[in-house]
Amino acid sequence: MNLGMLKPGESGVISKLDIKGPLKIRLMDMGLIVGEKIIVKKVAPMGDPIEVVIKNYRLSLRKSEAEGIMLDCVPENKEETKWEA
Amino acid sequence: MGSVDQGEPNKKKIVVAVAGNPNSGKSTLINALSGSRLNVGNWPGVTVEKKSALLNTSEAEILLVDLPGTYSLSPYTQEEIVARDYLVHEKPDVIINVVDATNLERNFYLTIQLLELGIPVVVAMNMYDEAKAKGFRIDKKSIEEILGVRVINTVATRKEGLDDLLDTVKSVELNPDKFSPKILSYGADIDAAALKTAEMIEEVNHQNIKDIPIRWIALKAIEGDSKAIEDSGLKIDNSAIEHITSHLHAAHDSDLESVMADARYGLVSGLVREALVRPGVQRVELTEKIDRVVLNKYLGIPIFFAAMWLVFKLTFDISSPFMDWIDGVTAGPFSKWSAAAMQSFGLPDWTVSLFTEGVVAGVGFVLVFVPVIFAMMFFITFLEGSGYMARAAFVMDKAMHTIGLHGKSFIPMLLGFGCNVPAVYATRMLENKRDRILTALLIPLMSCGARLPVYALFTAVFFSAYAGVVIWSLYVMGILLAVLMGLVFKKTLFRGEAPMFIMELPPYRMPSFRNLTVHTWEKGKHFLVKAGTYILAMSVLVWFLLNLPWGVEHKKDSFLGRAGQVAAPALEPLGFGKWEAASSLITGVIAKEIIVGTMGEIYTTDERANDAVKSENAGSAYNELKDISASFVKAVKESAINVFSTFGISSLALEDDEDAGGLKQLLKKEFTPLSAYSFMVFVLLYMPCMVVAIAMKQEFGTWKWYGLAFAYQTALAWIAAFVVYQGGRLLGFE
Repeated sequence: MNLGMLKPGESGVISKLDIKGPLKIRLMDMGLIVGEKIIVKKVAPMGDPIEVVIKNYRLSLRKSEAEGIMLDCVPENKEETKWEA
Repeated sequence: MGSVDQGEPNKKKIVVAVAGNPNSGKSTLINALSGSRLNVGNWPGVTVEKKSALLNTSEAEILLVDLPGTYSLSPYTQEEIVARDYLVHEKPDVIINVVDATNLERNFYLTIQLLELGIPVVVAMNMYDEAKAKGFRIDKKSIEEILGVRVINTVATRKEGLDDLLDTVKSVELNPDKFSPKILSYGADIDAAALKTAEMIEEVNHQNIKDIPIRWIALKAIEGDSKAIEDSGLKIDNSAIEHITSHLHAAHDSDLESVMADARYGLVSGLVREALVRPGVQRVELTEKIDRVVLNKYLGIPIFFAAMWLVFKLTFDISSPFMDWIDGVTAGPFSKWSAAAMQSFGLPDWTVSLFTEGVVAGVGFVLVFVPVIFAMMFFITFLEGSGYMARAAFVMDKAMHTIGLHGKSFIPMLLGFGCNVPAVYATRMLENKRDRILTALLIPLMSCGARLPVYALFTAVFFSAYAGVVIWSLYVMGILLAVLMGLVFKKTLFRGEAPMFIMELPPYRMPSFRNLTVHTWEKGKHFLVKAGTYILAMSVLVWFLLNLPWGVEHKKDSFLGRAGQVAAPALEPLGFGKWEAASSLITGVIAKEIIVGTMGEIYTTDERANDAVKSENAGSAYNELKDISASFVKAVKESAINVFSTFGISSLALEDDEDAGGLKQLLKKEFTPLSAYSFMVFVLLYMPCMVVAIAMKQEFGTWKWYGLAFAYQTALAWIAAFVVYQGGRLLGFE
């Protein structure tokens, strides 16, 4: 299960960054670390990139980048609705 | 270290670096602190903008240095490297760390790293009002206790807390020994390893260790950040480090960079848990509501195009009347007056000609660009400051990425249709150097406004019945070739890993007018001073090419004319292998609309010989001044009307030149419709003008990329014109 597979509104907890080099450090510097909850908010009109919320801010990244971010799926809870409503 | 040379000798000087995340309001804070004393330039060797300001307070002179906005001090982005190098090598007296109070859980990540550098830090808790409005309760005292730093609440947009901030900076600077940030634990095993590493470093490097933040270096060594070690100039026993870290590797089952990032974010989480209380239920934010529309699956793209159309229209419609006015004044009365003045002093004709046609015309060139550069900077700053720029990139990235570009590249490319020069400067909005260069290389294929007079002239002579279609076909050809060249560059010169697209989508905010104007003014000034000098020099050089050797009678015998004669045979297969056409094309390097002027001068040379210097109608200076101011008022009016007129982009409107009647007759004899179309294709594609060259040099610090643009475009122009002309002949066109 990786971040690229989530649909808008779905969320997961980062379990592993299957990425190497600068991209990995950059992602970690931006707060994408193991154990962090990540919510997919939107997909761009042309299908790529995606918008996610992590550490209470919005971040966009390409699907190719999101595919390296492995997730533990969070069972359907209502946490994202809390964010919206 | 850390002092400035200028200013009053007896006053204390404090160097203060301002660091913070992008979108933390750092820029606004700097502007608010410095007022009009802001200085904008580049960091040496890179195209990262450097702002600084010298503040004169009663007790001390404070030099504020704005570091690039960064999320971390890793050595992976240009901004991070610049910020880190400055902090480590220049050792400012104090760091102001601007943090966004509405997003402490990310902003403190940088704070923690700054604290390790051993430089006193004062935290500016910025946008405090927004955090309060969101219902956040921030416990300043506990942050101060946990981190061991002073925290000042600020609202930079309203200048709140800034005096307090400066006072704190001064008092911290007075007693640097009192500054004792808490040593934050990375966990027992890493702390122990850091200690061991630090001891080892101290052992190996007996001297030169005094000013170096040894724990920071030790942590960097454990992380494997070899650049930090290299830059510190310290000797390091690598095998000892490996020995120290080997068990860490085993224990953490992960690379140590990740372990450190984990640990830092762990620290931040703990801190935020202690110091921040969020309201139980969060309201739907304004940003959320706007994004539902702006990033909507169906509305996102139309809204993007509407926004771009508006920016384009406003940029060029507001500026074009002023550009015309400046052009009219410098080319008309101003050069006439200076010529008359010089002649009355009895100066020789050639100096008068050099001054009016070289210097005054050069100054005119620089000034003509001022309105459009200022207008463009204004709107770009607005897009960036409001938060829409990131959305625009988000919406367009897929399409732009397929030709090797970044989502944001669309905006400079679009501006290129108005004028390539501001478009090249607009590539600054891209964070990555590769994206910047690639975008700038493709910009000249966007048919700029200056090429339009050439199309207008030729279509009027040869294609008057379907002028619209012909001109449209040229624009489309430019776009298609840009796509093609984008793919070619992506597969060749710019092969390799595509830059990442990790971009924050900041909350929407209304940028303050003050901020917009300060930023616009600084950018514009930068252009005037730097590019202005080059443009002037080039203009003088071209004058010499047109007027040397001494006493040249006929343009054909000038250096330019000779160059045209040499180049002409190469243009033969394209259908216009005459020295006149070639020379006109060469002068197009100044600006492409000049091609028409040169053609006029060369083709109709007999009638017009030697009247360049003579002033034609000697109206009184008073009347001319009146005309200048009247035409300025007219320009203001036109500009205002353009903003409110819904249809038509004035800079793209075809203007029929009344003087060109004679030239049109001559062109009819010299060109066929086919060779005319081939010529237009050539003008569309060949070398970008010298102002673009200067813009590229200024932005990328080397002539290399202009050289590449020059080479590939001229080759492309030749091939395309060849295909058009020879292909057309095969199909039986003439």
